[in-house]
Amino acid sequence: MFLAISILSISATAEVSADAGKKLFKANCASCHKLDKKLIGPALGEVTQRRTEEWLLKWIRNNAEFRASGDPTANALFAEYKGSIMSAYPALTDDDIKSILAYTVEGNKKAAPAAAPAPGADVVAQAPVEGVNSPWLIYILGAFLLVNLVLLFRVRNTLQQINGENPTNLLEDVDFITRVLIANKRFMTFLTVVLALGFLYAVYSFLMGIGIEKDYQPVQPIAFSHKIHAGENGVDCNYCHSSARHSKHSGIPAANVCMNCHMYIDGSEVVDASGNLKYGGERSPEIQKIYAAIGWDPEERIYMEGYEQKPIQWIRIHNLPDLAYFNHAQHVNAGKVDCQTCHGPVQEMEVAYQYSELTMGWCINCHRETEIKGDNGYYAGAIDGSASISDRLVDRFHEEKITVANIGGLECGKCHY
Amino acid sequence: MASNKVYWKSFDQLANTEVSQRLAENEFAQDIPVDVFLSEASSSDSTTSRRDFLKFLGFSTAAATLAACEQPIIESVPYVVQPDTLTPGVPSFYATAYTDGQDYASVLVKTREGRPIKLEPGDSARFNRGTNARAQASVISLYDSARLREPRLGEKNTDWSSMLLALKKSADQSRAEGTQFVLLTSSVYSPSLQTAIERLRQGYPNFQHVEFDAVSQSNTLDVWESLTGVRALPSIDLMATSLVLSFGSDFLASGMAQQVSSDYASRRKPGSGMLRHVELESNLSLTGSNADKRIKIKPSEVSASLAYLINQLGGKAPSVGLRGDLTKALQSLAAEMKSAMGKTLVLVGGDDANQARLAAALNGLLGSFGTTLRSDQPVYIRRGNESRLANLMADLSAKSVGTLLVAGTNPVYFRADFSKAIAGAKFSMALTDRLDETAMLCTAAAPIPHFLEAWADYRPAAGEYSIAQPTIKNLFNSMPLLEVLGSLSGDLRSAKDQVAASAAAMGLDWNRTLHDGGSTVSSGAISGAPTTAAMAMAASIKLAKPSEGMEIALYENALGAGFQANNPWLQELPDPITRLTWDNYLTMAASDALAMGFENETNSDGSLDGSYARVKVGKRLLEDVPVFIQPGQTAGTVGLAYGYGRSAAGKVADGGGVSAYALGILTGTAKVEISKAEGMHEFATVQLGHTMMGRRIVNEVNLNEFVSDPSGASWNEKPTFHTIDGLKSAEEANLWANHDHETMHMWNMSIDLTSCTGCAACVVACNAENNVPVVGKEEIRNLRDMHWLRIDRYYSSDMNKDRAAEENIGGIEMYAQMEEPSESPMVVFQPVMCQHCNHAPCETVCPVGATVHSREGLNHMAYNRCIGTRYCANNCPYKVRRFNWFNYITNEQFADVNPSQDDFGRMVLNPDVTVRSRGVMEKCSMCIQRVQYAKLEAKKVGQPVPDGAFTVACAEACSTGSITFGDVNNAKSAVRAAKADARAYHLLEEVGTQPSVFYLTKVRNA
Repeated sequence: MFLAISILSISATAEVSADAGKKLFKANCASCHKLDKKLIGPALGEVTQRRTEEWLLKWIRNNAEFRASGDPTANALFAEYKGSIMSAYPALTDDDIKSILAYTVEGNKKAAPAAAPAPGADVVAQAPVEGVNSPWLIYILGAFLLVNLVLLFRVRNTLQQINGENPTNLLEDVDFITRVLIANKRFMTFLTVVLALGFLYAVYSFLMGIGIEKDYQPVQPIAFSHKIHAGENGVDCNYCHSSARHSKHSGIPAANVCMNCHMYIDGSEVVDASGNLKYGGERSPEIQKIYAAIGWDPEERIYMEGYEQKPIQWIRIHNLPDLAYFNHAQHVNAGKVDCQTCHGPVQEMEVAYQYSELTMGWCINCHRETEIKGDNGYYAGAIDGSASISDRLVDRFHEEKITVANIGGLECGKCHY
Repeated sequence: MASNKVYWKSFDQLANTEVSQRLAENEFAQDIPVDVFLSEASSSDSTTSRRDFLKFLGFSTAAATLAACEQPIIESVPYVVQPDTLTPGVPSFYATAYTDGQDYASVLVKTREGRPIKLEPGDSARFNRGTNARAQASVISLYDSARLREPRLGEKNTDWSSMLLALKKSADQSRAEGTQFVLLTSSVYSPSLQTAIERLRQGYPNFQHVEFDAVSQSNTLDVWESLTGVRALPSIDLMATSLVLSFGSDFLASGMAQQVSSDYASRRKPGSGMLRHVELESNLSLTGSNADKRIKIKPSEVSASLAYLINQLGGKAPSVGLRGDLTKALQSLAAEMKSAMGKTLVLVGGDDANQARLAAALNGLLGSFGTTLRSDQPVYIRRGNESRLANLMADLSAKSVGTLLVAGTNPVYFRADFSKAIAGAKFSMALTDRLDETAMLCTAAAPIPHFLEAWADYRPAAGEYSIAQPTIKNLFNSMPLLEVLGSLSGDLRSAKDQVAASAAAMGLDWNRTLHDGGSTVSSGAISGAPTTAAMAMAASIKLAKPSEGMEIALYENALGAGFQANNPWLQELPDPITRLTWDNYLTMAASDALAMGFENETNSDGSLDGSYARVKVGKRLLEDVPVFIQPGQTAGTVGLAYGYGRSAAGKVADGGGVSAYALGILTGTAKVEISKAEGMHEFATVQLGHTMMGRRIVNEVNLNEFVSDPSGASWNEKPTFHTIDGLKSAEEANLWANHDHETMHMWNMSIDLTSCTGCAACVVACNAENNVPVVGKEEIRNLRDMHWLRIDRYYSSDMNKDRAAEENIGGIEMYAQMEEPSESPMVVFQPVMCQHCNHAPCETVCPVGATVHSREGLNHMAYNRCIGTRYCANNCPYKVRRFNWFNYITNEQFADVNPSQDDFGRMVLNPDVTVRSRGVMEKCSMCIQRVQYAKLEAKKVGQPVPDGAFTVACAEACSTGSITFGDVNNAKSAVRAAKADARAYHLLEEVGTQPSVFYLTKVRNA
């Protein structure tokens, strides 16, 4: 609480803000620097204690120029990091840089106590909100109704006794009603039909469900979370599944694609819901599986030479039978269909699962309803003096909406060959 | 094909021990208590009642059904570091050069996920760009599981370092002892390899390099070497030719066939000035069957005929008596040649020195040098020298060869006496793709890479340099010859570095050259017109009289010389002429067969049997050669194909046919003694009827008729029907509602019967593209071939309706005679695949709607919907539907022939096409995977599909451009123009099926 207030007070009072600095730091610095650890460049947590603000302003704005001016500290630093070149940031204002520096101070303070939380400090925030447990509600309601029923029964029996009739017990009642119903042919016919239909429906549903793997959610060799990547961090689907635009396969990213980010992000900064470091400041064991696959030494920050790489054996979730041809590029690139249309809210999936049925009926349905992208040059462009396909489609279907089915998207040979 | 193989299951059985005999007698190790469920008495005691049995049956069926519902866990393993040139699911193409020890072609290799799966024609600027059947099929030779995997020293596998050490030790020892160190190869026209050989020669004064070609051209090369000073054959330029006269030369199928076929087709566009082709030959060859005029001649008459023509044209050559009818035919030819001076080309086949000399003289006389016959632009792909090979064999027998290194060829199989000679080498090593006949007799054998696995460069012709690049990592532990030779001479550079050095030495840009597959380089000065020398040569020849007895002429079919004998696609490819598969046989004229008592019998199930013959050439004897009666075969001659009769090529080739090489005929023709042997041979043929029986299946017209009536009214009459509304065409008179073919695409295919030579490259291309299964000889004999595309071959018959009317012959007799091909038939080829009828008879009879029409003019086949009633195949008038009688990729019966039965063979499968299972119908899909891919590519870039942007596999493989595929809704498309051509007609148009495939009338320049 104290921290939050102090940060707030800074951001409210000064143009130089650690919050703004955090954003700038993430955008410009985080790929090479961490606050508490040496990455490609030095740890920046206590940089303001090591260097003067003036020095830092010059260095960050354009370090090459600064070095050329002959500053001994700058040149020594350059030599210490074996000539790793740091980009120049002429676009950053002095306030921007000061914000970043403010963040290095505040961020560092924040990281330190979080690693060893003061006992009791976060208890209130941590206490989980008890959710309403729905099955219990039903049980209580059921019990209540049962009591009511018993009460009513007792009331009726009392009334019968008052009327001088013989009170019946429950079994006798049920027996009587059953006998009346069995004697009633119409009811029996009706019941038989209902039961038979119900049974048939059950069998049909069971049989039709064979081979449908909706909600299939296998355990993957790496606990990869689409929620973190696509959801919280907003990584575009196509960044990792890049071949979806070009190929029939969406492609599972090779480990070197993971390394584009995970060379810098090793999970040691990940905090859980309570703000604690999830892995106690260590590297995430899941991310380390990528390092093990590709042979990255996170200490030395190099790819190990002669390392026997071990491909990651993911479990395939969406399995179309071999007899069906599906092409991602056709849908993603030509058809401009969102990934989520078929794959569901992937950005919310902690563990990926099959969202759609992937049955032929499901495909066909979409083909019937989806309009073609008629502005694509394939349809709209005319070649060699013939009318364009778009024109011909308008001639034929007039004002109707032109669906995939209209252009032959339901024909067997479009998907089965 | 395994026809006379004996299998043994274990060494015990081979040794025929007591144990194995006892095991063989008792097929089942324990007695099976049959009585329990069979005998009357015990059935009442049986503990299992019928009801129980049914219960178990029901339970097990249900259990099996439910168990099958469980989805297997499928892993998806991405690259660790993905190559940036590769996107899974998108093909990559690499330019390279195809060589198999015999052929050379410039090709483009299609790879998917790092596996080469298809070969396409290379860059249009390259020499002999294109693919024949062998080139198309070569991609599956890469995945041949019979390939040698590890180096072998004696009987044991070893590693390369000890292998090379042994070789070097032997070579050094030979040098010390003063014995020879010989490298024996096919023709070497690789600059890098030549450099490596020269370097080796410097280190080893005892080194010899001997080149020989399986099918020899040595004598012809000698003639040309003496004329031009270069040991190379002249190239031929059909573009400058208007009359080609060929004496038994199968120029459309051998040497630089793709380029020649392409030129041949462009020069035979119907119209005035169309190339005229006269073939004089003994066997009916592919080239001969395309000729405008074909004259039957015996091999021994060729020299005399050439000499006669020289004399007729005013040259000087010895004159020898010829039969009268031949003289007459030659006279008229001489007249034709006179009117086409400078534009005539004379070719001879075989390898007879006199014929080569006379042909050179005749060409000189006709002014062909430098115009039609380019001795100034020689082709280097044949360089073999038989006299050097004979010397080597003598040296081997005299034990003066210390080290023999055989690389990429198989002399024990190709040369009859080499197996005896090779024993004379102190140390012999075969660098080979398999443990073949030669490797079995060598001290050591080591694998060399397939052409798709290795770096190489070639100089196939003057002015042409090409680079072959690997398209897959070595499947086995192989090493290219370049590196083996390098290790001997201390040059440890990789093959790639050696090739790069050669390219750099020529001043070529490496990336550009690699991308284009090669480059044009300076050809050097070569003497171009040795006319006088050639004519002088002819004058001094002594000619023998034509022989009276039987003669044999060897020929090459799709298998070629036999380097790819273990290739199942080639074995199953029907011979274009005989339509037989998995075999070679003696082709014989009907009159000779009758005289000698040879028979061909067609059984009631349609299969064909033929008598066996004994073939004797000099002292060499071939037993049990089946005889096939061939229309068009010159009486007094027989033909036999090279490449069969293997004993150590692999399970596909071994035991199929007989080896023509065993006859020891180096010139290709010889006198022969034929006698009848006992027994009948079982052929596997795919065509039963050989004539058109008076129907217009292949429409044909003579050139002058074609020129005089360009509208085609007289020679391309369309069928009409009398209806209640008057006369109607087949298209108008129909029962069905028309499909909408105007809105989207309308894919059509045009097949030009004038330019189609019947070479069958398209058939193999279709097999590769569409995962067509190989079914083996037995199934072909049952007429269950699976080829989606077939090339029907029809012979003309002497009987026709006019003649029958004239001679008052009755209907039954007329049709009986029509069935018989004439003695000297005209031949036509017609590729037939699914015609994609717009009113398809197959669609209306399918009870489950598994075959339906698309609005793009294609007939779709949904395999997973098909229940195998085969009504569609019965109702198809074109007989193009194929039924999967077996699961060819798992059924043990096909283990020897079907490449998809092992993990290597499966790598060639096209991942975009379903592998069909048992019980479903299949047929040509018009490469719908390519159609869909092309449309998607167009959508990705946002453009309409341009005409010619893609084509189907058969059209792409066709060197003659006979097949045109495209969208007729595109006003400027080539196929639309073809459809409007006066020559266009539909096959069986009167049936009213309105096919999307149409044919262009054959025009013969007769």
